[in-house]
Amino acid sequence: MKERLRVLASPIAAALASIGIAVGVLLALGHAPLGALEALVRGAGGSPAAWTGTLQKSTPLLLTGLAVALSFRCGVWNIGAEGQLYAGALAATFVATRWLPADGGAWLVAPVLVAGALGGAGFGALAGWLRAARGVSEVISTILLNFVAIQLVAYAIQGPLQEAPRAYPQSDPLPHGAMLPALDRLHLGVPLALIAALVVAFLIDRTAVGFRLRAVGHAPEAARFAGLSPERLGTLALALAGGLAGLAGAVELAGMTGRLYEGLSPGPGYTAIAVALLARLAPLAVIPSALFFGALANGALAMQREAAIPSVATQVVQGIVILLSVGFALGRLSLARERVPSEGEA
Amino acid sequence: MLVRAALLVALGCFVAALPGCGGETTQQTETFRVALLTPGSISDGGWNQAAYDGLERVERELGARVSHVETKSPAQFEEEFRSYARDGFDLVFGHGFEYQEAAARVAPSYPETVFVTTSGNTVLPNLAPMVFELEQATYLCGWLAAKLSSSGRLGAIGGVDLPSIRSTFVAFRAGAEAARPGVSVREVFLGRFDDVPAAREAATALLDEGADFLIHQVNDAGRGVFQAVQERAAKGSRVYAFGTNRNQNDMAPDVVLASAVLDVPSAFVEVARRVESGSFRAEPIRLGMGEGIVSFVLNAGLSGGIEAPVLQELAALAAKIRSGELQVPRGNF
Repeated sequence: MKERLRVLASPIAAALASIGIAVGVLLALGHAPLGALEALVRGAGGSPAAWTGTLQKSTPLLLTGLAVALSFRCGVWNIGAEGQLYAGALAATFVATRWLPADGGAWLVAPVLVAGALGGAGFGALAGWLRAARGVSEVISTILLNFVAIQLVAYAIQGPLQEAPRAYPQSDPLPHGAMLPALDRLHLGVPLALIAALVVAFLIDRTAVGFRLRAVGHAPEAARFAGLSPERLGTLALALAGGLAGLAGAVELAGMTGRLYEGLSPGPGYTAIAVALLARLAPLAVIPSALFFGALANGALAMQREAAIPSVATQVVQGIVILLSVGFALGRLSLARERVPSEGEA
Repeated sequence: MLVRAALLVALGCFVAALPGCGGETTQQTETFRVALLTPGSISDGGWNQAAYDGLERVERELGARVSHVETKSPAQFEEEFRSYARDGFDLVFGHGFEYQEAAARVAPSYPETVFVTTSGNTVLPNLAPMVFELEQATYLCGWLAAKLSSSGRLGAIGGVDLPSIRSTFVAFRAGAEAARPGVSVREVFLGRFDDVPAAREAATALLDEGADFLIHQVNDAGRGVFQAVQERAAKGSRVYAFGTNRNQNDMAPDVVLASAVLDVPSAFVEVARRVESGSFRAEPIRLGMGEGIVSFVLNAGLSGGIEAPVLQELAALAAKIRSGELQVPRGNF
């Protein structure tokens, strides 16, 4: 009981400590800290519109955070959620602007999302294959594949996927039917990401495949003696993670931008690592964790808008909060990982 | 203990900040309010910084209240446009073509706010792009080059082959043709904007082919073009180059004959002024020499070598462009 309380207390302590340091940093940079933090809080959740923005920004973080949590739980250090996100967005754009009819109905959403997930999964599986067949460290390959995906997008929008007028480096707009339906700008991707969290939680904690993934992550050699293949399961984990990150790319495309751009959505793939660590790799805990990071990003924009804090200063504040919260969370992580397999729950 | 005390203080600050949260939602002010979204850091010494300089001048010269946000990705554009429009801003700039899609989605819901993108081609009753007519000045570059060239060969070096870049060369060629029918203009594209050695190599190749006047559109890699021209000039050839976008006459004062200059900050002031005075129209805002946004700046150290009649003709041509009597050809994009 006391242990539980401590587990709960650490993120709160982290949040408070980071607020304290943020105040100090803002003072040192010559900005009024109270007005800035007020703008941060109000911008993150002070109005329905602020909540909309926070949820929009949390959605890709939730999906990529799940991708990272899932692969880390299998002992696969997937740093490539960013690249998998772009691969998904690229595949979704290709299908939406080159294959699907421009005048199709709302059913177009389904193939676009599937294409995004498959594109990301394929990209993740590529790193998995390199790891299984050639023993290439997935840390290296996934990082490098990030650059490959980003440059592929840059090539595509100046080449084969560029808009018909060829004036600007951007893709054609997605057909209307391929855009995610939205209720007051909260698009379908938001509930979709929540469902994904439930599915991943169920998969990891309640299925045989999930058990195998965790077993391999926890003790690869023991798992091998038990007849499991860490290589094959690692590839599966990377493909599943890629699928989630690719879905995030498709959701950003079909829910937010409507076209593919260079730098469509930079960052979530990397922030996702922090999101997953703060959640201590538990899929359901990724939901509040992603929400927290989304609120932080959204509030930081409001700090620029309303309190005239330059973006560099807001980035310092964001960085401090991320560092501290992950630092606090990591202190608990080793303990969490020891408990998980024996109890079969997170 | 100390940590706990610090946490308490932090908590205190946090709570103290909260009561202000609910309060003023609809802030009706008479002050003209202008916002700017940039796709990158405003300390980049280039594209984004120029826009922010413009915003600061809008604040100073029009007494406007201003606000800026650096958007990290296209996924954020729409929400930021909305936030400003909801707050009752009169004018919101999106600094790049990539903002037009999001602006077009937001604009119909906020007819009281004017949205302006830097370049682009999307127009709505309260949304328009500003289009810089640098072509007017590159036309004059071409005209002067053809007048003075002894070989009748000119060269143009571009970075990425974009319609906006190509368009400045279209005007350069038209200016050259106007001065001297049959003049040859060779265009080379490097594929990127930051490659000084490649720019230098391309310039050397054009000089080898006999070109004696070069214009470039490779941003700061223009340094490579100037170096190549300086090397050739040092061997006794009469070769010159033109600067573009900024006044680059001082980058190589011995060979840069003139610059086609674009004053981005003044463009922001001009647009803000139009919106404030109610003279905004739903059409692309063309800003060129007539508006004082684009200028053709001769290098005073070199222009003494140009014959007086040529200079007079040049001045007359510039006046015709400024008055709108002469329409400079440009690319269609």
